[in-house]
Amino acid sequence: MSRVSVPCHVKGTVALQVGDVRTSQGRPGVLVIDVTFPSVAPFEEIMFKNYYTAFLSIRVRQHTSPHTPAKWVTCLRDYCLMPDPHSEEGAQEYVSLFKHQMLCDMARVLELRLILRQPSPLWLSFTVEELQIYQQGSKSPSMTFPKWLSHPVPCEQPAPLIEGLPDPSRVSSEVQQMWALTEMIRASHTSTRIGRFDVDGCYDLNLLSYT
Amino acid sequence: MAAVEKRRPAVAPAASFPDSGRPAVSRTAAATESEEDFLRQVGVTEMLRAALLKVLEARPEEPIAFLAHYFENMGLRSPANGGAGEPPGQLLLQQQRLGRALWHLRLAHHSQRTAFNNNVGVAYECLSASGRKKKPGLDGRTYSELLKRICRDGEAPEEVVAPLLHKIQCRDHEAVPLDVFRAGMLTCFVLLEFVARAGALYQLLEDPTLAVADRRVGQAVLDTLEGALQASDGAAVPACFLEAGSRLGPDSLALAMDRALVARRPSSPMTREEFLEKAAALFIAKVKPVG
Repeated sequence: MSRVSVPCHVKGTVALQVGDVRTSQGRPGVLVIDVTFPSVAPFEEIMFKNYYTAFLSIRVRQHTSPHTPAKWVTCLRDYCLMPDPHSEEGAQEYVSLFKHQMLCDMARVLELRLILRQPSPLWLSFTVEELQIYQQGSKSPSMTFPKWLSHPVPCEQPAPLIEGLPDPSRVSSEVQQMWALTEMIRASHTSTRIGRFDVDGCYDLNLLSYT
Repeated sequence: MAAVEKRRPAVAPAASFPDSGRPAVSRTAAATESEEDFLRQVGVTEMLRAALLKVLEARPEEPIAFLAHYFENMGLRSPANGGAGEPPGQLLLQQQRLGRALWHLRLAHHSQRTAFNNNVGVAYECLSASGRKKKPGLDGRTYSELLKRICRDGEAPEEVVAPLLHKIQCRDHEAVPLDVFRAGMLTCFVLLEFVARAGALYQLLEDPTLAVADRRVGQAVLDTLEGALQASDGAAVPACFLEAGSRLGPDSLALAMDRALVARRPSSPMTREEFLEKAAALFIAKVKPVG
């Protein structure tokens, strides 16, 4: 399951307020984050880190056909991130949302709008961080398996064995131990050389000088 | 040993104390102190501690006999022997050293690798100790003799072990370094265990009435083992275990034995010696020769 990150541009949060924006007394309970894509992208997964957002709605503008203008469609409605907006639970969690959780088809997305809501007055600010959008990646590369793993011998009923054969499980256990001892010796060998310089067991000067 | 025992003169405890104000307390304190001191001076504390550590490491089945052998070896090694006649000749000394080295090597099973390596180190030092005429270090002749002795004591038939000795023996004049010594000892002990296993395998394969094994069955089993060893030549480490396991499982072995018996070849017996020789040949083929 591989995913490829889709390049996108996340615009700054915009607080929605009624009345004069400059009154900083009231803290807004609704924020909007816009995400634009440089190219039309298929959508697979959206991942982000929550920061004290209670409810999330996502609206998407799709590219339907060249003639009709693109419309805004709600694909996620009031998704609950914090079960109790006044308490900490779910406040700083990592969240992943998949395309099968969305209400509409997310094949060709032009723009994404996240609407964050936090009705509780306890928190000074709220947002979502580390927003990332993924699309379906290519399938994982095929690996080569050894023959006996990819083509296991079919579990056939063994033909009735000739009687008088020695017990196979005991024979097998002995043979496996013998194999293990041999493997151990093969693996442990010293590289120290004893320093032999002879030719076929002979240290004759004439022979040695020819090599 | 009676000639060696000498009684040390008892140390008078109270005479040397200048302060005679508390004579009673200081005398008992001095008495216990002198006992501890005495033990430490003689080196008994250290010796007993080393002996107990050795017992813990070797975990013998008969600790009393083990300790008796240990102290006997210690007594032989210490120079202050008490003058038991004239010093033993060179040949006897050599035999003693070989015996002691063998004793050290047998203390731990080769699978307890750290303990085994420690014992190999001690045995090497014991053999390399310089006699009056010999230069320090282990020479090839002693090493070869030690190998032969191990194989003989391990009850492995000569023909079975001969190819191994041929591969790992060193020439008389060569100086054997510790690594070569260690590898040689390990190979020897592992071969002895391998031959024991092959013997048990032969007993499983042999026909109880005839007391020999069918040649076809024996050859089939050996061929399967050879195939598994060759397969693990090429493969990487985890895969080769899996492959060997699948080849040497009871099902495949049963199939191989069954196929061998079904083939229309006349049955002929295979003796135990022949089976052991062939099995050992498979093992020895994987041993790297000294060079």
